[in-house]
Amino acid sequence: MTGESTRSSVEARGVSKAFGGVAALDAVDFEVRWSEVHALVGENGAGKTTLCNILAGIYRADAGQVIVDGAERDFRSPAHAIDAGIGMVHQHFRLVEPMTVAENIHLGWPETPGVVSQRALNERTEQFMVEMGLRVDPTAKIWQLSVGEQQRVEILRVLARGARVLILDEPTAVLTAKEAEELFAVVRDLAAGGLSVIFITHKLREVLAVSDRLTVLRHGIREITRPTEGATASEIARLMTGEERVLNVEHRVVTGDPALELRGVSALNDRGITALHDVDLTVRSGEILGIAGVSGNGQTELAEVICALRGLESGAITVDGADITSMSVRAVTDIGVGHIPEDRIGMGMVLSAPVKDNAVLHSYWTEQFSQGLNLNRQSVIDFAKKLVETARVQTRSVFATAGQLSGGNQQRLVARREALAADRLLVAAHPTRGLDVNAAQEVRSTILDKRDSGCAVLLISDDLDEVLLMSDRIAVIYEGRIMGVFEAAEADREHIGLLMGGHSITEAVA
Amino acid sequence: MTPLASIASAVLSVTPWRLERRLEVDAKRAALTRIGGAVGAMVVVGILLLLTGRNAFLIFWQALDAIFGRQRGIEGVALRAIPILMTALGVALSLRMKVWNIGSDGQFLMGALAAVGVGIHMDGPGWLVLILMAAAATLAGAAWILVPALARAYWDVNEIITTLLLNFVALQLVTWSALGFWRDKAAAVIQSTREVPFTLPGIPGANSVTIALLVPLAIAAVLWWVFRSTSIGYEIDIIGGNPRAAGFAGIAVRRRILIVMLFTGAIAGLGGMLQLSAPGAQAMNAGFSAQFGLSGFIVAALAGAAFWGVIGGGLFIASMFYAGIVLQTKGLSVYIIFAIYGVILTGIALGEIAARYRVVRRDAADESGATAGESAAAPQGAGS
Repeated sequence: MTGESTRSSVEARGVSKAFGGVAALDAVDFEVRWSEVHALVGENGAGKTTLCNILAGIYRADAGQVIVDGAERDFRSPAHAIDAGIGMVHQHFRLVEPMTVAENIHLGWPETPGVVSQRALNERTEQFMVEMGLRVDPTAKIWQLSVGEQQRVEILRVLARGARVLILDEPTAVLTAKEAEELFAVVRDLAAGGLSVIFITHKLREVLAVSDRLTVLRHGIREITRPTEGATASEIARLMTGEERVLNVEHRVVTGDPALELRGVSALNDRGITALHDVDLTVRSGEILGIAGVSGNGQTELAEVICALRGLESGAITVDGADITSMSVRAVTDIGVGHIPEDRIGMGMVLSAPVKDNAVLHSYWTEQFSQGLNLNRQSVIDFAKKLVETARVQTRSVFATAGQLSGGNQQRLVARREALAADRLLVAAHPTRGLDVNAAQEVRSTILDKRDSGCAVLLISDDLDEVLLMSDRIAVIYEGRIMGVFEAAEADREHIGLLMGGHSITEAVA
Repeated sequence: MTPLASIASAVLSVTPWRLERRLEVDAKRAALTRIGGAVGAMVVVGILLLLTGRNAFLIFWQALDAIFGRQRGIEGVALRAIPILMTALGVALSLRMKVWNIGSDGQFLMGALAAVGVGIHMDGPGWLVLILMAAAATLAGAAWILVPALARAYWDVNEIITTLLLNFVALQLVTWSALGFWRDKAAAVIQSTREVPFTLPGIPGANSVTIALLVPLAIAAVLWWVFRSTSIGYEIDIIGGNPRAAGFAGIAVRRRILIVMLFTGAIAGLGGMLQLSAPGAQAMNAGFSAQFGLSGFIVAALAGAAFWGVIGGGLFIASMFYAGIVLQTKGLSVYIIFAIYGVILTGIALGEIAARYRVVRRDAADESGATAGESAAAPQGAGS
């Protein structure tokens, strides 16, 4: 790897930070060198982002020192940090969507000329991109760009302001696998050019793929800093979680009547383009059918047609033999179909509403809560309290708004709520996306419990490891078509990978 | 951050304190900071009046005496409050769903116009005609928002423009009725419609206030109950919070939007009939609505769409307007009075913002930890 230099670029010494009396960081030492990619690893809540926010001047440490290039610094704002050459790219982009790439890069940059033509702006941007070896069309509007390209603009923006230490906060959380690969290459190039890159992640594969050294944080304490070379995923996982937790999943071969059946289902996506082509699928009671595929190949539409959120162009869907093709959302829910939606925040919850209202979003009309017009407040509160407890959602109270929950807790809430609503069928779309190891295991256990209790589960995930781990049978989807269905025992990773990439079965076998 | 909060935060940046956003605003604090804002604004008004050489204490005394010193004052406030409360309740209902009905003035006028039409053309027992007038006004108010509501619900057309523009159409129709088809030909000078020969029964002991005052109170009570205890209120709040989640929960979002918007129009329309059925106000002219819709909108927005807050806020603004009129008769210029209105409303708006922030010492936020602030909460920020 490239990390020859051993001079440190930025260093935290004994940094502590508490929020509301809870220690987020406890005397953490952290040192990053020039020309290295340093992975900062830990579960949700381990303190990774807090540490980087201190380095980037967003928070101030309660105790400890921040040393940049050999000099102690006390940042009072992100502007101070960027002056010292430390820039951070946040998980949620801060770009102006209707404006061009060039405009976004120049926005609020002291070096932007006071009066400048669009052309000069584009040329300046172009030139800067060549210097940095990072390309995006300067004239494109942000909203026209893919997420990966938008992230590149964010990186360019930070670099343009003279950042020599680049902090990337979970940069791959929003990227497709291919975009992530491209990002890794960019990150490696930047480090090769002499910069420091701090790469926050909880995905072990990424740590091994991209970093020169790694630091593991757990509960605000540094567990280890070591060269990545020679480290193994299981070792890092153990340090992250404090214990080695491996979910043992017993795959089954289930026979019997199908719970869910799709026959020749075709459907359009939001842009009116056919997203599902003549899909045939069967899920039996007590089995998990995993849908393997790269995001954007019709998985979203598949979940939505089953849950009556999207209409069919042709075909039929049955649950326990009953035709649900033209049923309403509510009717489908009433026969026992639960749905952990892909977009938890955008679709699965109301952030401005209290936790208790979110807890009954998919069941408030049932007899348990509603008698005629009356919505029984007390039973809603009781139910929400129980849900929060069993799902181990950390919240001050069920009256706090859902927006106050952390991402992992929001996800636990939705997953458990939908598992309870699902008597016959659970459609789980990317149920562990963005979760740390422990939280992901919990959600997976919830899904497995559902299966063991006789519920049919359709598991959609773009994480092939997850599909292989969880599924009793695996269907591969590509461009809205089912490329093949396999029993877990006969599933071959490479073969499935080829099908996910659009190679037909015969090619794959050959 | 709102612009005002940004300014406050910039001012504080040179001090050892800073602003911190509260995650949750409890209703009591929200009410107290609004009242504090109003009181603070009145202190500012008093100082300005003193600086311009006026006896501020006398003016405040005159205003309070005018309102609370005599029955006429209290009744005057109540009469002004009724139309403001009705439009405000309609707007507050729509705000729960994040729909902005700016057209309550128009719905109010059309309700009154429909009531005039029934009142001057029907014979029969007074109570029956009044009930029919109320029904006609309710339907007319709903009808006046029907097109914006359909456009919003089914074609996602922004309701702010459509409802606002229909106000002007309604005003022209009223003017036409007063000058043209329903003109009172007996009164040659005043251009107004004929007079409706019925009024609502008075409240016992009152000279001019009728049972119309009970209507906004009853509506507020019903709305409060709907949002507290029914699945309909729950659904409306869910739609207001996240329409996609509402669709996910199987709520017929478009139909709900249509129905709720019709209700907001209906409430404003009924307000028009109530205004018309007060003694001495039984005919319409172009000045029939003294921008009640606008006042109602301000009340609903400042009350944060809380229905009892709307009642309190509506009564307060009606008192303010009434005091303003009395002070004009005592020789205070109308411009000064309008300026005072502005300062007081700004004070309440600042109070509304103040409820959402707190001032903390820099870097001391961590020790306090009692109420969740921006840093204390940061579940996503501090999370990973």
